[in-house]
Parts: sequence; C-alpha cells; structure tokens
Amino acid sequence: MKVMVCLKQVPHQDAKLDINSDGTWIQEDNIKFEINSYDTYALEEALRIKDADADTEVVVVSIGPDRVTQALRTALGMGADRAVHVNDAEAFGSDALCVAKVLAAVAKAESPDLIFTGLMTDDGNSSAVPPMLAELIDVPSATGVLHTEAANGSLKVERELEGGAIEVVELPKPCLASIQTGANQVRYASLKGIMQAKKKPIDVKTAADLGVSDVASKATIDKVYSPPKNATADILSGSTDEIVSGLMGKIKELGVL
Amino acid sequence: MIEWSEQHLMIRDAVRRFVEAEIVPNLEELEHGDMPPYDLLRKLFATFGMDEMARSRFEREIAREKAGEAKAPKTSSSEEEELVPRGRVGAKGDAAAMTMIPIIELCRYCPGMVTAMGVSMGLTGGAVMSKGTLAQKERWGLDLLTLDKIGAWAITEPGSGSDAFGGMKSSARRKEGGGYILNGNKTFITNGPHADTIIFICKLEEEGVPMRERKILNFVLDRGMKGLVQSKAMRKMGLHSSPTGELFLSDVEVETDRLLGESEEQPSRAGAKETFSTERSGVAAMALGIVERCLELSVKYAKERVQFERPIGEFQLVQLKLAKMEVARTNIQNLVFRHIELVDCGRRPTLAESSAMKLYSAQAAMEVALEAVQIYGGNGYMSEYQVEQLCRDAKVLQIYAGTDEIQVSSIARDLLAG
Repeated sequence: MKVMVCLKQVPHQDAKLDINSDGTWIQEDNIKFEINSYDTYALEEALRIKDADADTEVVVVSIGPDRVTQALRTALGMGADRAVHVNDAEAFGSDALCVAKVLAAVAKAESPDLIFTGLMTDDGNSSAVPPMLAELIDVPSATGVLHTEAANGSLKVERELEGGAIEVVELPKPCLASIQTGANQVRYASLKGIMQAKKKPIDVKTAADLGVSDVASKATIDKVYSPPKNATADILSGSTDEIVSGLMGKIKELGVL
Repeated sequence: MIEWSEQHLMIRDAVRRFVEAEIVPNLEELEHGDMPPYDLLRKLFATFGMDEMARSRFEREIAREKAGEAKAPKTSSSEEEELVPRGRVGAKGDAAAMTMIPIIELCRYCPGMVTAMGVSMGLTGGAVMSKGTLAQKERWGLDLLTLDKIGAWAITEPGSGSDAFGGMKSSARRKEGGGYILNGNKTFITNGPHADTIIFICKLEEEGVPMRERKILNFVLDRGMKGLVQSKAMRKMGLHSSPTGELFLSDVEVETDRLLGESEEQPSRAGAKETFSTERSGVAAMALGIVERCLELSVKYAKERVQFERPIGEFQLVQLKLAKMEVARTNIQNLVFRHIELVDCGRRPTLAESSAMKLYSAQAAMEVALEAVQIYGGNGYMSEYQVEQLCRDAKVLQIYAGTDEIQVSSIARDLLAG
C-alpha cells in the first residue's frame, strides 16, 4: 500500500511574528519553522499503517522554498520512506485551489491508495485544500478525521462532528482523509531515524515538471495587520460590594450572559 | 566543525520537544519531591531508540569478542564518506554529537538527570564493558547500557575524595578456597539509594604492602546482597533529581565471578584515568546546557523587567553581564565542537585536554548562573524562577568528576612533564 501525506511547513508556534515591510504577509527572515501541527497527526496516522504492514510506503509531499527540506527530513526521520518537494516560486503561498492543483498532479504521478492531510494549517486556517484535492483527482474524502482503520479495499474513518458526536464513514480506496489534531500521539523522530533520513530520497520538482501550469495565486492579499489594541478598560473601585454591584451592572449592560 | 549540522539540529529539536513535554511538567516533583528520574530516562531512551542502539552495539561487541576479534577502530564506509559535506563531521563525530546533544538538552532543565544517566550507563556500564570478562558483560552489561537496570560506581569514601586511591580504606580480603570478603563505606554515590548493580572499588588486603601501593580491585554487586546496605537519598545543595547516597558493606562474601576481569592483575588505576577523561568531556556538554538556558532566560527577563521606566536590558551593567554570558556560551560550544571533531579524527583527548575543557566549562557555567540570578534580582533568589535551580546545580560541576583544583594539577602536570 502507498500512503501520500501532504505537509506544510509553517512558522513555529513560539515564533515572534512581525508584519513585513509592505504589510502583505509576515516577516519570514530569522524565524523558526516547523511542520504544521495538523499534518504531524496525518503523518503519524500513515506511519501507524506502515508499522502494521512493513510493505506500506509512506511518501511525504510539500510545496515551498528550500527551507521546506528541513520539514521533509524531519518526516523522513520519523519513518516516511521518501519525499517529494515541489520547489516552485509561483506555487508556494498560492491560493487553496492552485495548491490543490499542484498536489493533485503529485497524486496522479504517485497513484497512492490513501492520501492523508492535516485538517487545516496553523497559518492559513482555510481547511479548503484537502476536499479540493480530493475533487481534482476524483476520489472520496472525509474531513476532521479522528481515527482511521485501513482494510483491503477501503478506509473506515471516524469523523468529529459538532457537539462531540462521531460519524463513522467507510470510503473505498483510493481516498483522502484530513486528520484532526489529537487523533493520535505523534511520535518523535528516533536518533537512528534522523541519521537514516539523510540517505532517503527527496525528489525536487517544479510545477512544470509535474505538468501543471497557471499555479500563481488568483487571490491577492491586500493587507495583513494585527488587530488594533482596544485601549479602553474600566477599572472598578470602591468596597467589595460596590465592585461586585458595578461588575454585575457591566455584565447586564453588555448583555454577555 | 563550526556549527551543528542539519541532522544535529533535528536531533536537538526532537529531544528538546521531549524534554519540554515530558520532563518539564515533572520538574517540581523531580527537584523538590521524591520522584526518581529513572522512569523518565527510560522513556527518553525508548522514545529515541537509544535503548535499541545500545542493544545493537552490545550485540556487535559480544559477537566480535566471541569470534575472537580485537576491537578494531571503526572506519567510515565509502558511502558514509560521500555523505559528509565539507566542514561537517563523519560517522564517528556524529556518534559523539548524538551523545552530547541529549546531555545539553537535559541540562537546560534538569542537570541531575544527566548525572543519574551518565553514572548508570557511562560509568557503571562502561566499567563492566571495558574491564569485564565476556560472561560478566553478558551478565550485567546490557541491562546497564539500556537503563533496564540502574548502576552505581562507588569510589568515594568519607576519608577519600580527590585522593581517591590514596585514602581508600574499603577492602577485599581473600577467602580460603577462593572468593573475597568485602568491607567498607562509600559516600556521595550517585544512584546509590536505587542502584540494582554496583561497582565497588576497593583495595586488596596484602600483608606487608603499604596501603598506598595495594592493588585496586573492582567488584560487581547486586542490590539485596547479604551485608550490603544502601542508604536513603542524602540532602544536598543541588542536583535534586539525581539521588545520591551512602553504601555500607559489612563482610559481603563474593566469588571470583564478581571480580571485574576475574583477575587481580587488572590495571585499575590507569583504567580509572580513562574514565575520568570521558567524564570530564561530558561535563562541558552539561555546562553548555546550563549556560544556554541561563542566557536565554536572562535575555528574556532583561527585555521584560522594567525598572526606572525602562527595560533593565537598557542598562549597561546588565548588558555587560549578558555579553559575558554570550562569550562563555560561545567558548564552551567551541570546546564541545572541538571534542566532537577530535573523536571524529579517531583521537581521544588526553587527560590534560579534557581537564582543561572541564575546568573552563565548569567555572564559566557557575559564573553565568550566578550572573543570571543577579539579573533576576529578588526573583532570581526564589525557587519559582528556574535560574535559582540552575545556579545550585551548576556548582557541582566544579566539584565532581574532579574538583577545579584537581583539574589544575592534571593540566599543570602535563605541561611540566614535557
């Protein structure tokens, strides 16, 4: 079985994010990056299939600049077999549909039995790429997956619904599942795995190599900004009774309860 | 080597993530409670496959020994050579880096865990593997190298510290018909309260031979042996996560199969010096972890702490402290890099070289940790802030594995011998 896992490298959760000089994105110089947290659960889910069946091949795919190699090496260190790195200036940071088009081209070339992605990315938060990718390659998909069970011809998944309900769905293979955080306990790359990762292949491609064109974003970001700080704060003073009564008045006034 | 490689940084990040997720939440219990560090260390080993790597190394060594082959220095394969980019270290250097990086990362939060791990696996396991017979290695070696069993290496006594062999009173008396009767008290023994396997270092009772010239013997003892008492953990200034205790031996009877090497002719004094050299190089990695963390915390605090209406980092006296910390960090890191490079070239550091490395690193770590407390002011004196613990922990680096004064004499003796 072949499992393709889509990874995005995003700013580290502890990175201090500043807006760039033209106010259209964050300043990416000198910040640390990591694998999108949702995608780590997708990778772990794939590696568990490989743990149970040694013949399974796990291929990780990422779009981005040179720095993405580090994320791919980490995934290889955790146990993935090989990687495809789409290093293409137009495709990197493109809109969801163009990203899905590029990933679809990789999927067509790889013909995986399963595609696992994170439910969304920590930076973009759109959740749009996984279902778009599934549609482009015409395979069934399930989003928000908390548990997977791969059988011979199908993948049984448990999806998280509103209110904590769980929906059980069975998808015929090939299919795609976008994995929710908390689906599993993500492993660490072992020391041996990290040292072996440098010997595993990373296939670098451009969109043109994959036979895809017109991958530049159709949407443009006009402005990125931090919400202005609200400088007004009411400090209540007086005796405890007066403060409590003042606070109750504020709560009623704002209608928050 | 001028910087960590991409693989080294991946290892660092993975171990750091583990330390922050698994050890930091237990820090209070490890430092101020009664939580022994061993289960967390075993989890660290299992998570990163360190136990599996130790097992493979052990099996290779045993197979080689059974085949009657001498331990040949491992040379890099041509495939490995091809993978070493210019300016990077090869397989032997990578192996050294893989040992150093977890030490550095653990010491950013919990130096005591490194002491507990190093004594069990490095000193005790190392002693069995370097001095033991094949049967002894198979009996005790593997469990120590994988941390399945906890080891203690007992050399220090109430009357013998730096002068370890000179003042040593612990003794082994030959029994009629073979075997020995062991007696003595040991103190400041890392892992002593919990150890499953203990290397007991003592002198052979030899009539007419002056105490200082008597043979030094190493015996392997198991927890629960008749006549062996392991004390509860002693209270100490720092390294609370590393249990330290006393051992009392009263007429402990052993057969020759517990004498390391099963021969009285083992060169124990020279062997101990080799152990000291390895131990001293490891202290530099410990110092680097403490210094890195102290500097990181100090820079953060200097930016956040406002006095006289500005961050204290704007005051030149605070800037001077931060700058000196960075100088120390760079120097220790370069010493660690040099050590990795030396190992990569297949050269062991001399005792003088490793002593110099230890002396500088230990002193620098203490100075940096004290300055970190000073930058934090009143907060730094409170155990709520981590610099207080790191400062107490740093002090031991100037005392154990040979005091600063012993390092000085090791270095000077080497200089004067030339």
